[in-house]
Amino acid sequence: MAEAMTTDGWEPKIIAIVCNWCTYAGADLAGISRIQYPPNVRILRVPCTGRINPFYILKALQEGADGVLVSGCHPGECHYITGNYSARRKFAMLKRYLTYIGMEPDRTMFTWCSASEGDRFAQIIKGVTAKVRDLGPARKFVKTL
Amino acid sequence: MENVEKKMREEAGKLLADKKVDVVIGYERGTLPLTATPCFITSPEEAEKLVYDATCVQNLAKFAHDIISTHREAQKKVKPEDKRKKVVGIVARGCTSRSLVIHLQERQYDRDDIVVIGVPCNGYIDAKKLSAAAGGEEILEGSISGDKVAVKVASGEKNVSLGDVLADNCLTCRFNNPVISDVMVGDPAPAKPADKEFDKVDAFEKLSIEERWAYFVKEMSKCIRCYACRNACPSCYCKTCFVEQTMPAFVGLSADQTDTQIFQLLRTYHMVGRCVDCGSCVSVCPMGVDLRNFLKKLDKDAFELFEHRAGSSLEDVPPLSTYRENDKEDFIYHP
Ligand code: SF4
Ligand code: SF4
Ligand code: FES
Repeated sequence: MAEAMTTDGWEPKIIAIVCNWCTYAGADLAGISRIQYPPNVRILRVPCTGRINPFYILKALQEGADGVLVSGCHPGECHYITGNYSARRKFAMLKRYLTYIGMEPDRTMFTWCSASEGDRFAQIIKGVTAKVRDLGPARKFVKTL
Repeated sequence: MENVEKKMREEAGKLLADKKVDVVIGYERGTLPLTATPCFITSPEEAEKLVYDATCVQNLAKFAHDIISTHREAQKKVKPEDKRKKVVGIVARGCTSRSLVIHLQERQYDRDDIVVIGVPCNGYIDAKKLSAAAGGEEILEGSISGDKVAVKVASGEKNVSLGDVLADNCLTCRFNNPVISDVMVGDPAPAKPADKEFDKVDAFEKLSIEERWAYFVKEMSKCIRCYACRNACPSCYCKTCFVEQTMPAFVGLSADQTDTQIFQLLRTYHMVGRCVDCGSCVSVCPMGVDLRNFLKKLDKDAFELFEHRAGSSLEDVPPLSTYRENDKEDFIYHP
């Protein structure tokens, strides 16, 4: 925590909440294929993006994450058929709402990545890490007590 | 309004006399001048104490849910042959009726558990605005006639125009007549300038990100987490609210301001497609937190993205319980 507060030597800390069936397998593939991506991401596996309570995202930010990434199966490919369709509505509202209250839009990112897209997974992590790096350490919603 | 009040008493009395309902939820005179308070009447004689005018603030749908769910819970312990239904009559203006629709959409009770006495609404008085109009002095007496409000304070009498002290949500209300009713009392109320309803949200969106954040922090720092807003809200009916869950504890209880911010963010987020802009939460807040600025944004977005207006029709499905394959996904990140 303490070192995350200063910018020198600071490395973005990103929580990626990913679904078991697509993105997690995609991350696995990236690993097996030895594709390099920034080590700034901590992966949290959930059964499906539909399982993600928006509270998880806020909690991650509160506990010191500099960015949160949510990724699941592409629309139409959810293992539970419609989980990501419902999730998409939730996140569409959440992202707009967080932006409205003054949160930087790039701190919360949503995307899709399938099990065969190891390369895309690495690209996503690179992209998100770069965006969060540009924003600098999180200041809003960070619990200090 | 006089006329509406009289007819409403008649209808309420008739429903009770005919045993069509077990209880009627309405408003009675409050103990302070220019206030009304929710009341529950169970006999036709009591119908005389019902009132209905611009002093009726709270959304009564909350109580319909409370009464029916408590009754249903109690019935679980009753022998099958002794089980009985409880029908609730409720005085409902636009926002109250929308909250009832939300309860029905969310399968909280059945349509025949309630009898809706629909009343037209021209808006209610915002106590904070009225107090400011009275110079902050204690109001000793007050009366409403037409669109004039007369108040007596220690330093003399004051006359204010009703329009100046109406609550913000009433000024641009799109649904000031009930969306469902079993008996409708009085003529429909004239339409309000509803095209202006999102003006404040539009203006807020145009502020810079830091200005918006500063406003959010400022408003939330006033909150003392008394949870009055949640208790007043007809859409907040969970048996165990997320703020009280302890295994695991969802929201922290510390004095750190992020805990309060997250509580507010989540409670309001739970209102996606469920907030009817009744202003009950705003009116009960002892600290004057501007909750409406945030709730109205969700209302606007749910309308923009899903063409959904909370509780506007019994046929609608709650927006977050459904989807369209072609829902907008411009927020999805592609590297
Ligand atoms: S009523 Fe006001 S002070 Fe109480 S919890 Fe709600 S916003 Fe906070
Ligand atoms: S959040 Fe407030 S304005 Fe919205 S329905 Fe609940 S009490 Fe009414
Ligand atoms: S299982 Fe991957 S999003 Fe539902």
